Amino acid sequence: MTDVAMRERTPPPATLDRPLDYLHDAHTLRSWLFTIDHKRIGILYLIAITAFFIIGAVAAGLVRLALVVPDGQIFTNDTYNKLFTIHGVVMVWFFLIPSIPATFGNFLLPLMIGAKDLAFPRLNLLSWYVFMTGAVFTLATVVIGGVDTGWTFYAPLSTTFSNTWVVPALIGVIVVGFSSILTGLNFVVTVHTMRAPGMHWFRMPIFVWTMYATSLIFLLATPVITMALILLVMERAFGIGVFDPALGGDPVLFEHLFWFYSHPAVYIMVLPGMGVISEIIPAFAQKKIFGYKFICYATIGLASITFFVWGHHMFVNGQSEYASLAFSFLSFAVAVPSAVKVYNWTATIHKGDIHLDTPMLYAMGYIGLFVLGGLTGLFLATLAIDEHIHDTYFVVAHFHYIMVGGTMLAFLGGLHFWWPKFTGRMYPEVWGRISALLIFLGFNVTFFPQFILGYLGMPRRYHVYPHEFQLLNILSSAGSTILAVGYIFPMIYLLWSLWFGKRAPSDPWNAKGLEWTTSSPPPKHNFIVPPIVDFEPYDYPVKAGESV
Amino acid sequence: MMTPAEKRELWRHMREPAITFAVLLAFLAINVTIGWLQPFPAVWAVEGAIMVLMIATVLLFSMEVIEEPALIKFFSILGFVWVAILFGMTMIDYVTR
Amino acid sequence: MSDRAAIGVELAEQFTDVAQQRRAATLGMWSWLLTELLLFAALFLIALVLRILHPDSVREAAHHLKFWIGATNTAVLICSSLTMSGAIVTSRLGWQRAMVRCMLATAALGSLFLVFKGYEYYQDYIEHMTPFLAWRPYELSGDRASQLYVSLYYVATALHAFHLTTGVAILLGLAWQARANGYLQRHQNRIEIYGLYWHFIDLMWIMVFTIIYVMNR
Ligand SMILES: [Cu+2]
Repeated sequence: MTDVAMRERTPPPATLDRPLDYLHDAHTLRSWLFTIDHKRIGILYLIAITAFFIIGAVAAGLVRLALVVPDGQIFTNDTYNKLFTIHGVVMVWFFLIPSIPATFGNFLLPLMIGAKDLAFPRLNLLSWYVFMTGAVFTLATVVIGGVDTGWTFYAPLSTTFSNTWVVPALIGVIVVGFSSILTGLNFVVTVHTMRAPGMHWFRMPIFVWTMYATSLIFLLATPVITMALILLVMERAFGIGVFDPALGGDPVLFEHLFWFYSHPAVYIMVLPGMGVISEIIPAFAQKKIFGYKFICYATIGLASITFFVWGHHMFVNGQSEYASLAFSFLSFAVAVPSAVKVYNWTATIHKGDIHLDTPMLYAMGYIGLFVLGGLTGLFLATLAIDEHIHDTYFVVAHFHYIMVGGTMLAFLGGLHFWWPKFTGRMYPEVWGRISALLIFLGFNVTFFPQFILGYLGMPRRYHVYPHEFQLLNILSSAGSTILAVGYIFPMIYLLWSLWFGKRAPSDPWNAKGLEWTTSSPPPKHNFIVPPIVDFEPYDYPVKAGESV
Repeated sequence: MMTPAEKRELWRHMREPAITFAVLLAFLAINVTIGWLQPFPAVWAVEGAIMVLMIATVLLFSMEVIEEPALIKFFSILGFVWVAILFGMTMIDYVTR
Repeated sequence: MSDRAAIGVELAEQFTDVAQQRRAATLGMWSWLLTELLLFAALFLIALVLRILHPDSVREAAHHLKFWIGATNTAVLICSSLTMSGAIVTSRLGWQRAMVRCMLATAALGSLFLVFKGYEYYQDYIEHMTPFLAWRPYELSGDRASQLYVSLYYVATALHAFHLTTGVAILLGLAWQARANGYLQRHQNRIEIYGLYWHFIDLMWIMVFTIIYVMNR
């Protein structure tokens, strides 16, 4: 072949100033839908869960709209029940659970340990398809048909009394469970077998530790709820009776199986957020993380203790009081490793060289809200107080402080932190800060009144309530509009930045960690030269007089 | 056909699976016998113990955990530990109701 | 038996060497087996709870299970574990033809299990032990709680039969691939990994049989 022929066939590539990255490796839709590159699969997850988040958020908005008036005139009871079920099912099963692990975990885990990819790239793609199949199926069910059981599917409502589309919704959730399991399996194997030379366990970033702990929870907890949900389907289809008190079955047994997964699922949602925060804070305080090993142990500690506390959801459900006592006592133990982490983050910030960029604003917000959410959790773990506030808005506020104040803020913080790495572009900093502040403000205005409402006795899941609660409910609904604006801004400016953002250098934050040593965005197999790790984690410069 | 050397080689490698097989069948025979005859009321405890022995036999020898590195040994036990947590914590409720 | 083939594993691009790839595959299968164990564990837990809540009904229901078919099937699966071990041993020796035969024997024993299982369900049907069929009278209808245990028996055995069916299908697929020349040179570890799965299905059946059929009699 002559030189002339070559030149005619392939014009030179447009960008020669940097190596071909994973985004520009191929452009066809096919190259995305059949990719086995962990980075592209992470992006596929990101797109999917953003879409699900929007649906769940719209449902939340409608729920808040319904609660503006006390008489329940805006929607019928059935519609209201279906709306909060859409919100719960979508946010828990299709947004929060996969949010950080499936997006950031997929993208970053191999980068952070210096691997070319996850151990099983094809399985990774399969798990995305499994996720999409289950999620889209359930979504169609809850939106078109409607389900009124709440995300918890408690028997006997879900088995005997509900006349909505429970079975298809359950089938979708069961399917999504398998995608969690496959992702968890892939991460566990990757962390154990794919680390770069020199990357021993105590050199791994905290984010990797939290991904590992989360993955173990995926593996050990998910199958139990899969079985519980299969039995619900069987119950509705064949009336097998295991959860049916009329035949001598026990609905509380369903709750045991449900919460054996669903309490640890809280840590599926929280631990990854803790991992993200543990990456952001040292970078924006330019300081080595305080008590690295303690955070590692606390991560594994949380992932284990979390399996011993599920009964705190069942204090008033007919569980034996001795069991309640044991579960209550053990629930308090969760506070210890959680507090260890909070102290370590604050100690890291202390006397740091602090930069209040968008990710750091989210991280600071996270710490405050997580503390509030965590401490109110202790109220709920106390038997006598729980008798009073069980199933009230106090619980709703508590877990939103953990799920939104914790996980959602960590997700957004991480999204901004690694956005340059994902896309090769910088987001507009000013808009980032504005929306971070709006979200913090809107969140607190929305949910703090709910603590008070709950303590005054407003039960969750009703849209008809006494008139004296109206003011606080209006406040809460008003806050949710601020929150909504805070969510809409990033969706716009992040998209904008894809085309118009400044080009990102490989390490825009001066942060440490292997993912910042490769180009932004990374090349197809992550590193041009396979890395060898001969440095400690978070080796930020140590200032004179500072003890590490 | 196999040569005598090949036969010896095969037997050398199949001896362990064959013994495992015989042991499992023996355990099964015991369990079936006492399960059928029900010699005393608490016989379920013996049956459970024999089931545990059968599980251990399959794990250690059929699945060769005994020759695997510590990590695989750990994973082979981990699931059973979690089953114990599931049973233990749930039973606190059912035995004290 | 002079068809001794070289054995080995084709390196996938994300790994640096074959040892790493083998470690990853083994650990991956063990991780999957963890989930299988916990899946079944939920059913065993329900068996225990039912036993505590309704001891007499459970005993009555357990006495109506086909004890001897279950026992025979346990023996059949223990035999299949032996042939699976045979497949693994021969794969390590590079005796590809013998390995394929062992795999086919394993699949045959698995199918035999399923035949017995089908016959057992048929017997259950004949004896009116099908409480989930609304149109068919139930043998123990005087004892409503007994049907919980009978239903549990169906769920547990059907779940296991589902695993065995997929297991046989995958095994036949592997045996089909493994006829090709040089298979063991490229994919020896598939046999090892699959063997773990098969032994574990066997293990789960040992637990189902002991717990559902034997311990609650
Ligand atoms: Cu909980």
